[in-house]
Order: sequence, then C-alpha cells, then structure tokens
Amino acid sequence: MKIEVLFPEICNLYGDLGNVRYLKQSLDNAVRLSDGAPIYDVEIIETHLTDKPLFLREKPDLIYMGTMTENGQKLVIKKLSQYKEQLKKCIDEGVNFLVTGNAVEVFGNAIIEDGEEVAQGLGLVDIETRRSSLDRYNCLYVGDFDAGDEEPLKVVGYKSLFGFIYGNDVENNEIETVVGYGSNLETKKEGIRINNFVATQLIGPLLPLNPLLTKWYMNVVFEVGFEPACSEAALEAYQARLDEYMTPGKGWKY
Amino acid sequence: MKLRFYLAMWMAKLSIVALKLTGHNGTDFPGTVALKICPRFMKYVQKPGKIIGITGTNGKTTITNLVIDMLAADGISVLENNKGSNTLSGIVSSFVYGCNAFGTCKYDTAVLEIDERTSRVLFGDLEPDILLINNLTRDSFMRNAHPEFIAKILTDNMPAKTKLILNGDDLITANVAPTNERVYFGIDVMDTDVQKCVNLINDMQICPHCASVLQYEYLRYHHIGKAYCPNCGFKSPECEYRGHDVNLKKMNIKIDTPEGKNTFRLLNENVFNIYNVVALVAVMTELGYKPKKIAELMKGIEIVASRYDVIEVGKYRIVKQMSKEKNALASSRVFDSISTKPNKKELIFAMNCRGDEKTWTENAAWMYDCDFEFLNDDSINNIVCTGPRRYDYKLRLMLAGFDEKKISLAPTELEAAKYLKLEEPEDVYVLYGTITIDIAEQLIPIVEQEIRERGKN
Repeated sequence: MKIEVLFPEICNLYGDLGNVRYLKQSLDNAVRLSDGAPIYDVEIIETHLTDKPLFLREKPDLIYMGTMTENGQKLVIKKLSQYKEQLKKCIDEGVNFLVTGNAVEVFGNAIIEDGEEVAQGLGLVDIETRRSSLDRYNCLYVGDFDAGDEEPLKVVGYKSLFGFIYGNDVENNEIETVVGYGSNLETKKEGIRINNFVATQLIGPLLPLNPLLTKWYMNVVFEVGFEPACSEAALEAYQARLDEYMTPGKGWKY
Repeated sequence: MKLRFYLAMWMAKLSIVALKLTGHNGTDFPGTVALKICPRFMKYVQKPGKIIGITGTNGKTTITNLVIDMLAADGISVLENNKGSNTLSGIVSSFVYGCNAFGTCKYDTAVLEIDERTSRVLFGDLEPDILLINNLTRDSFMRNAHPEFIAKILTDNMPAKTKLILNGDDLITANVAPTNERVYFGIDVMDTDVQKCVNLINDMQICPHCASVLQYEYLRYHHIGKAYCPNCGFKSPECEYRGHDVNLKKMNIKIDTPEGKNTFRLLNENVFNIYNVVALVAVMTELGYKPKKIAELMKGIEIVASRYDVIEVGKYRIVKQMSKEKNALASSRVFDSISTKPNKKELIFAMNCRGDEKTWTENAAWMYDCDFEFLNDDSINNIVCTGPRRYDYKLRLMLAGFDEKKISLAPTELEAAKYLKLEEPEDVYVLYGTITIDIAEQLIPIVEQEIRERGKN
C-alpha cells in the first residue's frame, strides 16, 4: 500500500500532516477485509517540489495534500501544471485523493485576492477561490456526512481561511454543515467529491479528530479492517468535542 | 481634528481616574476610549525623541521588560506599555499615561512591545527608530495564519526610516523589509545543534528565491539555524552581533558586537532566553551602550516571574513555566527543555485557552504541529491534562507514544493537584498559557498545599 504525500515541505500548515501520521499509525494495525491478512507494506512516499511525483509512474493507493501558504499555492500550481493531464487521468480513473485545508484551491480555476486574480489554478475542479489578504474566517465545525449504506456520521473540525470557494463543484459533496461555515457564505455544503477525489477545507487534523470517519474511509477506500490508532482516546475526544460544539448557544466563529 | 484629539486625551485621562476609583489598573481601557473618539490618536500625540519597538512571535514581552529594566538600572525612565497590551489600544493607553493633558510627552524615550499584526495600523502614525524582530514562527493561526503572512505584513508596513535588528538565525525574520537598514544577531553553532530537523515543523525548508531544498550547516530547532541554498547561493546573513561559547555551567555567553567583545551572564538556560540575551545586547548597543556597561547593567536584572519561577517545597520543586497555548513552537521548546532535565517529574497541563472559551472554544489543531514526542521520556511519571482540552491533550500524548497509564484527567485546572502522584522527590511543572496566568497563580498554592498535606515536605 502506497500513500503519496505531495510537497510536505510546504503543504504542512495547521497540523495537517497529523492526518498522514494518524493514517500510518492506524494502518500499522490494519488487516485486509477480504482475508484478514495483516497489511505490512504501508509506505508513505513524500514527493517534494524537486521530485517527480509517484503518480506519474504508478497509481498510488492514496494521494494526500494539506494546507500551505498563499505563496506555497503558487509554487504547487507551477509544479503540478506540468502534470495536469496525468492528474486529470488519475481523478477520472478513480485514484483516491484526500485534500485538506486550502489545498483544494490549487485544483480550481483561479484564486482571486482582494478582487484580483493572483493565480490561475489547475482547472481540474470547477471552483474559484475568493479571498481577502487580511480577513480571517475561523470557525468550529460540525457537519452531517452521508456515509452511504452506513449510518450518517457527524464530522467535526475547524476552518481557518482567508476566504471561500465558489463554483459548480461546491455542490458535489456529502457533507451538510450543521455548525460553522460551509464551502462559502452562501451554502451549507462542505467539501468536494469527484469520483474518489475528496477535498475539504476542514482542518483539525481531520482524521485524528474523526475516528469514525477515518474508520469508514479506510474500510471503503482501502477495504481494510482496523481500529484507528488510540481509538478509545480518539473517540472520547471526538465525543467531547461534538457535545461541546453542539451545545445550544455555543459561539462558533472567531 | 486636533480638537477631537484633545477631547480623546481628556476623556481617556478621566477614564484613568474612573479606573482608579473602581480599583482597576493597567488596562487598555484608556486607549480604547481615546481611539473611539479619535481613531488617529497616534498621529497627533507627541512622541518621544527615540522610539524602540520590539516585536516577533516569541520573547517580545521578555525582551521589552529586560530593556526597560536595563535602562531603569541606568537611571532612565521610559514610556512603555508593559502594563497594558501590545496592540493599538494598549500602546495608545501607554501614551495617555505618558503624556500630559495637552498631549505633550513626558519622556525622551519609548520602549514598546508591538504585536506583529498591529504594525499595520500603527506604523503609519508611529515610526520606530529601532525595531527588534526576535523571531517569526507559527503562532495562533486563527489570527496570525502563518509566519510568511506576518513577515509580509511587517514588510508592507515598515517605515523607511526604521533601523531593524533582526534574528539572522531565523531566515523568515532575516528577510523582512529587505530595503531597510539592518543589523543581525545570532548564535554560533552549539553542542546541542543538529543537521537534520527533529521537529514536526520547519517553515524554512525551501529557498525563498528559487524554491530549491535548503541545506543547513546546523539547525537549532525548527527553522532556526544557519542555512544556504546549493542552487542559487542564497544563505543566512553574517551577524553583527554574534553569540558564541555558551557556558551553561557558568551561565554566561560571549558576544561579539561592532563595539567590542564581552562576556554576558545568561538569565536562564532555555535557548529562547539565550537568544533574548543576545537580542538585548544588540538593542542596548544600538542605543549607544558599550559592551562592558551592558554587562554591568545586566547584573541586576531578571526575567519576570510571571514567565518562569521555581518554588521549593521540602524535597519538591514546583516549576512554574509558561507554555503558550496555540503556539506549537513555543510549547515544543518548553517540552524539549523539560525532557532534558534529569529529575523525575510530573506535569500539569493548565494551558487551556480560557480566553477563547468566553466566545467559542480553542482551535486545538496546533497540537499536531507541536512536539509532544519530547515528553515521551521515562523521567516523566505523570501528566495531568486539565480543563476543556484535556481529552485533546490525552489523545495527542498517546499518539506521541506517551503511556496512557501515566495520563490523568482533571475536569478543571484548579483540581489538578489531587491527581498528582507525588511518589518521590521530584519536580512538578505547572504549564500555563498567556491567558491562564491568573489560574496558574491560584493553582501553585494549591499544589504547594497538596504536597504539604501528603506529608511530602
């Protein structure tokens, strides 16, 4: 099993690499659902800005990218622009992507700051980012996640952004906001899903804060059975957070 | 407009009287009143002839206090804001206190701690002659996002006349406002330095000019160290103020300055505070003091006890240590420092952001940037996680490999003492944040009493 982490030297803000560490720690205890065999061969492959991405040579089991600076977004767009066709093929063919925080913005059509386009995105997702150079939008977050055949899940986390995403693909998702900002100020929808390309602006990090979602994700995406790392403590923290955020009258934005 | 300024000054002065009558002191309230009436108050108020600003993510309060104490030791009283806040209202308050009713300043010099983001609204009306930037690292990302964002704010708003004193070992700081006159300070290679980053975060991994991977001659922690780009030649600057030969046994450091060399006492063995001493020497030298005189003045000063203090209770020591909540780098430094101490120890995590609790609740994502892994050490018997974030701390500690059996959960900070094991003579660290100083002050006597009641004193 190979997990490709794109540009961890810059896509590492707001604790987001905690997602990768949590996956690695969790997968160390995982077994294949089909025959119960242990998963021994979990490889985390870090692709740096100076490297050729793994997805050019083979299909990774998961491609992960986390939050970066605004300048970092420009570097990532410049780097990935040369592989746009291959990335599109990966998305079309159902390669698993998990994209968190502001990383989704680089896949969009454009990044608009204070009314001016500061970067043209990869154009792989039909969104554009509209942000201000000084405003911060911070919120606690609870959303209802449609887990398909499974019971719906509550997803918790935070958002810490300079702005929001707008566009047709904002409606392609499975999370309905209960507490906090949606993908933008006009929608309750959160995140984007195109085939197995899954993106959310949530930070937390997403996976350790949501052990139930992590378990579901790993079961469905990787077809592996496992308990998330430190599952009891993670569930305890998850439940406490959910109770806290759902308390009537609790403030949710900062 | 001037009339509005006078009205603001008078109403702010009246508010000071009201504060005194109601038993309040040292708040930003006079500044808030003044700004309400005259938003450009700082434009009109008379400034001292010399203004020294001190900013940066970590250490600005400590250095500001040290500079003020050093100048006081030399008989110089300055306009300062260490009783209020480091934001605009706090700085305006300090001028309300420091000027007469007609806005005439009573001081020749101001030493101001300045919040990094406040530079945006302040520097148009107040231009520091000297600005020290101690470091720029990750902080509360709700407000400060990331260090690159803060560096840009400082660069975009820096007055042209301001001379910068910059940490040359911090490449984010070193590149602020590149056209301004500047000097750098830094510390030569130390025994504890490494070549590969051992921390979870390093915000200077690539060259800011060509994006190639930076090489480090040595790394002290996170992105602090000496780096170069093998591709384009970009490198850490040479420092005019250069600390070397740090001697923790004798608690001193040698510092070369443009005015000569000398040995200076260290105020604390924490690397942060060693940098603070080098920065202090740089500021004082830029103010015209000679190294020998600076060393003399330093003999009588200490770091304020609100940041670090040790209380002996029989065979126990209670170590009161600030560990800023929402600040991954500052807390990592504290955890690293604690892990190197040989004594057996228990820790109380009382660094919940109670300020956030009043309106929403703390964003705890910073914990995943913070090196809790340093605490995975046999010398730590017990960590008491307290308050609203206790479950988050527990999970993060366990993911760092810390033994669950050595974690206790206390519903509130003030209940922490009864969860201490106190099994043998040891150090009890009370870690608290900037918002929970008051809680720490209440907690320390409770811990002291717990030790005495269990007959351990």
